[in-house]
Order: sequence, then C-alpha cells, then structure tokens
Amino acid sequence: MATTVEAAGLTAAAKEAVRDLILVLADSKRLLGMRYGQWILGAPELEAGIACAAMAQDEWGHARLFYALLKDFGEDVAMLEHGREPHQYASIEALDAEPADWFGFVAMNALVDTALSVQCEALRGSSYAPLAQRVEKLLDEERFHGAHGTAWFNRLARAGGDAADALAAAAEATVPGILRWFGPDSDRARLMVEAGVVDAAGSALRERYLERIGGLLDALGARGAAMRSHAPSFDGFDEARRRVSTTGPDGETVARIRGDKNRMFLVD
Amino acid sequence: MSTVYEVFARKARGEPLRHIGWLTAPDDDLARVYAYQMYDEERWFDMWVAPRDRLLEVFNSDRNTALGR
Repeated sequence: MATTVEAAGLTAAAKEAVRDLILVLADSKRLLGMRYGQWILGAPELEAGIACAAMAQDEWGHARLFYALLKDFGEDVAMLEHGREPHQYASIEALDAEPADWFGFVAMNALVDTALSVQCEALRGSSYAPLAQRVEKLLDEERFHGAHGTAWFNRLARAGGDAADALAAAAEATVPGILRWFGPDSDRARLMVEAGVVDAAGSALRERYLERIGGLLDALGARGAAMRSHAPSFDGFDEARRRVSTTGPDGETVARIRGDKNRMFLVD
Repeated sequence: MSTVYEVFARKARGEPLRHIGWLTAPDDDLARVYAYQMYDEERWFDMWVAPRDRLLEVFNSDRNTALGR
C-alpha cells in the first residue's frame, strides 16, 4: 500500500475526492467533539457527563488525525483547523446546531456518530495507506461511543410514553439528513471505489448504515420503519462538502473551535 | 432506577483482579460503557463490573460476622 498520495497513483480527480472526504470526516469529528463537549455538564447523570468528556476527547483526537493527513495534499492545516468561517465547513449537517435536549443528544450519539464510523469502516482497506492505518485505531475507540449511544437509545425507547416519543422525533429530525449524507451513486462515488480508496460509497454505504442502525429503528416501531424506507433527494447536494445547506455550524461553536477568545494569549 | 456497580481490572494476564472503583448505572450495558470511559486512563488488560448487591460478604473482622451474619 502507498504511504503518500503521490505514491498511491491516484488520478487528479480521485485525489480531489479523497481530499474532500478527509475534510468531511475531519470537520464532522471536530464538530461532534464540540457537541459532546457541550453536554459534559448537562448530562442526566454524572457518569454520562464523564462519558461525554471521554467521547469529546476521542473525537477531537480523530479530527486532528484527519486534518494532519491533509498536509500530504498540500493544504494549510493550521488554517483549516483554526482559520475558517462556518460556511467553509464540510461537517455533516446533523451537527450544525447543538442538540436541543438529551433526546437530541442520544439521537446524535447513536445515529450520527455511527454514520461517521460506517464511513470510516469503508476506509479500512484503503489503497491510500495513511487512511487505512488511522481508521483502525479510531474505530477501536468508536466501539464504546456506539455502545453508549445504543444503550441510551434503547433505554429511552424502552421507557415508552413521552420519552420514546421525544426520542422518535429526534431520530426523525436526524435520519433523513444522514441518509442523504452518504451521497448519490455518482461518478465521484464510482471513482473512489474503483481507485480502492473506499470499499463502498453512495447507496451501498447507506444500506450498510441502515443495517447497522436496524435494531435502533426497530425499537421505535412504526416510526422507525418509516425512517428506514426514506429515499433521500439529492437536489442541490454538494458532493464535495456532502451538504445541501450552504451555511454551516453555528457561529459561536466555530468561534470556539477557532479559539477567537484565546487569540490574544498566542505567543510565537 | 440506578444500581451501584463495582469496577475491577488487572494490568496483565495472570495478575490478580484489583478493585479500582465504582459507578452508578441504570443497566448492565451502560455500566460497561461508563466503566470503560471512567477508568480508561491506564492501560488495563481486562476490566469487569458487578452490581454491588451481588457481592456476598463472607466474613468481617470488625463486626465479627461470619458467612454474612
């Protein structure tokens, strides 16, 4: 396997697609880390707050691994990490706003985090070796994020009544956007698979994801079944950023990522 | 309803299991996840949780009890 993007022998178009995918994953994990971090003090039990802190740390670490890879593509990594405006982010739309309540948090933890993992799993045997190496360690940590999300999801679904209703509503607000995020079966998707960068893309990954969250959707009964059969529309879908919305995450969170308030303390 | 779970771990294969802490969790699944996330600052070989109320006292020198009585 090739250790640099040049040695991987990718065409210019494939190289651009890989770069875009890495940025999508880096930005999504950076945002997910922020969202986890925002719930450290708001979680319903102390242990869940500690779990939020641990997951936030993991996601920030994963984001840094991905950003660092972009150096190989000639990108200014410091600028990407700390110099952009919200509309320049390529993070998954489901993370644009902080979850409004714990139900939204659990939907994010169980459904969004899992979507990112399904995408990372498709990179396990990547022809671009640095990606394959990085996702292996990261997916090890992700098992526990998935377990946390799943345990909470099932707990709330089992509770029935208002809790299960609120959880279903949070899932309904999240799942369609995630299904679209996996993208269409486009030339770009085919290019990535043919170059061996990913082992699946578009609808094949969407199917894998639906299979993975099948048990969670089952727990929501008929409302879950309806989500499973949702057919995403790709009108206005930007394949590079994997978004329809042209805005981005909330400005306050991006300002915190950039470290605007700490800038005065920077010493060279 | 939360249950108190005791957390045990060992550093290497063959070493005795050590009590390293406790936590509260609503079910076994979350107890495992919480244990991993709360006590992962060291490199453990393995880690276990058990509900505190499933640990049976054998004897206690202070209270001079034997077999839990």
